[in-house]
Amino acid sequence: MAEPLLNVDNLNVSFVTYGRSRQVLRDVSFSVAAGERVALIGETGSGKSVTAKAIIGTLPKNANISAGTISFAGRDVLSMPRAEREALKGTAFSLIMQDPLSSFNPVFKIGTHLDDVMRFADKRNGISTSKAERRTRIAAVLRRVQLADGERVMNAYPSELSGGMRQRVLIGLALLHQPKLLIADEPGTALDVTTQDEILNLINQLVKEENVALLMITHNLGVVRKVADRVVVMHHGDIIETGPCAEILSNPSEDYTKALLEAVPPLYGPRVIDLPRSERAPIVTVKGLNKIYGKRPGYHAIRDVDLTLREGEIFGLAGESGSGKTSVARIIMELSQPTSGTIDIDAPAPGRGRRLTQIVYQNPGTSLNPKRTVKQTLSLPLTSIGMDADAREARMRELLDLVRLPQSYLAKYPHELSGGQKQRVAIARALAAEPRILILDEPTAALDVSVQKTVIELLMQLRQDLGLTYLMISHDLSLMRNFCSRIAVMLRGEIVEEGVTPEVFSDPKHPYTRALIAAIPVVTDVEERLKPIVTEEERMRFLVKTTA
Amino acid sequence: MADMKMLDASDRGLSSGYMMWYRFSRNPAAVIGSLILISIVILAVFAPWLTPYPKHVGAVVDFRARHLPPDASHWFGTDKAGRDIFSRTVFGLRVSLLLVIGVLGISVPVGTVLGLIAGYFGGWVEKLITSLTNVMLAMPPLVMALAVSNLLEPTLTNAMIAITLLWWTWHARLIYSVSKSIASEDYIEAARLAGAGPIHILFREILPNCLAVISVKTTLDAAFVILFGATLSFLGFGVKPPTPDLGSMVADGRQFMPDFWWEVLCPGAVVFYVTLGFNLLGDGLRDMFDVEN
Repeated sequence: MAEPLLNVDNLNVSFVTYGRSRQVLRDVSFSVAAGERVALIGETGSGKSVTAKAIIGTLPKNANISAGTISFAGRDVLSMPRAEREALKGTAFSLIMQDPLSSFNPVFKIGTHLDDVMRFADKRNGISTSKAERRTRIAAVLRRVQLADGERVMNAYPSELSGGMRQRVLIGLALLHQPKLLIADEPGTALDVTTQDEILNLINQLVKEENVALLMITHNLGVVRKVADRVVVMHHGDIIETGPCAEILSNPSEDYTKALLEAVPPLYGPRVIDLPRSERAPIVTVKGLNKIYGKRPGYHAIRDVDLTLREGEIFGLAGESGSGKTSVARIIMELSQPTSGTIDIDAPAPGRGRRLTQIVYQNPGTSLNPKRTVKQTLSLPLTSIGMDADAREARMRELLDLVRLPQSYLAKYPHELSGGQKQRVAIARALAAEPRILILDEPTAALDVSVQKTVIELLMQLRQDLGLTYLMISHDLSLMRNFCSRIAVMLRGEIVEEGVTPEVFSDPKHPYTRALIAAIPVVTDVEERLKPIVTEEERMRFLVKTTA
Repeated sequence: MADMKMLDASDRGLSSGYMMWYRFSRNPAAVIGSLILISIVILAVFAPWLTPYPKHVGAVVDFRARHLPPDASHWFGTDKAGRDIFSRTVFGLRVSLLLVIGVLGISVPVGTVLGLIAGYFGGWVEKLITSLTNVMLAMPPLVMALAVSNLLEPTLTNAMIAITLLWWTWHARLIYSVSKSIASEDYIEAARLAGAGPIHILFREILPNCLAVISVKTTLDAAFVILFGATLSFLGFGVKPPTPDLGSMVADGRQFMPDFWWEVLCPGAVVFYVTLGFNLLGDGLRDMFDVEN
């Protein structure tokens, strides 16, 4: 076999924080051949991003490469002089950044961003170029990432482009100097599924056409199946296993990989869980709901939405960003007023300081006050319902038992907890004053897939034990397939499809629903084949344009 | 982003006290600043025992010893009445520190509370408080202070009142912006949904998240208050003689420049030393808490 393009050999990296050294990569070895697509997968803290940073040379100051080599096309990258290594960026390998919004300086036009990168690279290579000439080269690159109207894109400010278009520009930025290796750090994770799907297609196409190698860093196993030939599984700084993509996904040998695959909610197949429907009386009835933000003409966020939540069911409200699903939930929570329409909650009025509805937020990092201990956070709703100190103490113990956290966690601050533990505290807070309806606003979107699984299991158990009704808002349809008994799909403020979950997934009526389901990255080929078929014309009609 | 999260996860075992101390102890500015301030506080508190001529604070006149240059018995020399300048500057520190405590002790709580209220409630309350601070900020501070102390009697208390009247606005404005951004956090809404009243949200949820900003701002402000106080007494609107005050000592010595340079330079250097101490500590605290602006 020929010399691989990129070879990482026994890489050891440690970080020094607060005077303590901690090893984050242990003997990491893998290689990427020319034109090959390799995915580095792992959960938070697995070291996948650190590995990418070590390759590019952007490790933070407190990191230290204690052993190992990284060689690119046979040359040792780590022992190169600084200038030489700097020159590799963009030409040898380049990075597709993760967040399409914060990667751009909002006060400069897209064209300026691209031109700056090109000008400095030309300067480094000792070529002097004119602005007009660079502009034609940039337009050519933009065409390669399927932004046909390059002139318009170059003259636009970052805020004037959609997320998908910005991501395309970022890919174009990485391609400016014909790199041999593209490193993609979770591309499209910040975007909607349908947009992410298009971005992945684009990356695949480019890899093929330009014959570049791809190192994809991701936590999403569905994405891996789509864009990788070979997979490297990382966990806590170690490489767990390496192998061809199909083999790892269908027949992993290590327990960790098996558990990881197990945790991915399936879209189709025998592992899918069908929740029983609730035949009980409706508890929430929403009729003719409209919400217009701002004054004439205003933004029509919700249009004529009718909804019924039956007692004890898990109702899913699916939709992409801007579809109005969160606005509906906020109105049901009485956090905002509808412009027109009614909401009836059919339950006896709660006692003093109690609410019928409570919410679990998406990001437990921002929904818990960083300066308050778990005990302080939990005692707040208990004080409002008039409990004395002893009763509060007892109830807090009960709540921690409910969410399966040890009693000692009462004294901890949020920064001492992991994401999943924080979300458990947030769930305990929501349940403290015994609401009847729990609104789950993408409750696992900020969590790793294995943690997501445990939080979902907890929520299922709690619903059963406490007789709760859930309204789940999410864009993650594969999760909703297994977690919701009924589902409604929202598009631009309207409900376009509603029904019992298994039926919606086996026979989606609305083309948008079909497009949404088709865009979900799945782990097995069997599931891929079972996805509904969407025509190009339907895609054009319902999806946000990401090309210009 | 991903590796930031990882760092967070790894720091989980460390207490926040340890992390603060670690950053503090590795920050030369903060350490030097606090050493300077500790020395100042010790000198001011124990001035009668630490100075060679504590009696020279009062109306002592010793014409045989006037205008002596610095030497072993008079480290900072003597002034026109033959009083030991070192003893007088050390006692002068007491006035400066009193001024800082008096001014910031009132203006920081007032400014903080108004800022919290304006940021959290919004609406007309916000408009009222921000307009008021804007009007106050538009007045030239020195002119305002001179007017107030002219109107009343030129004493330490009145100087304090004059400075306090101006100082709270800076804090109100700073805390307003912090409180406004915190008010839109999920955890504030969650607290409201848990039945918390406005008092709880202002002082238990938002205020703890402002403490870092407040402590940095207050420390840096202390330096300005001392300078401002010295300016006022230099212009004759401060402490009445013979009580020693750093600003009026510089003013007294001014007429004998450049021959008896120590009479201006020594108290001046002490003002510099105190200001430097507060500024270093403030900057150090800012690095420690990672506070921007």
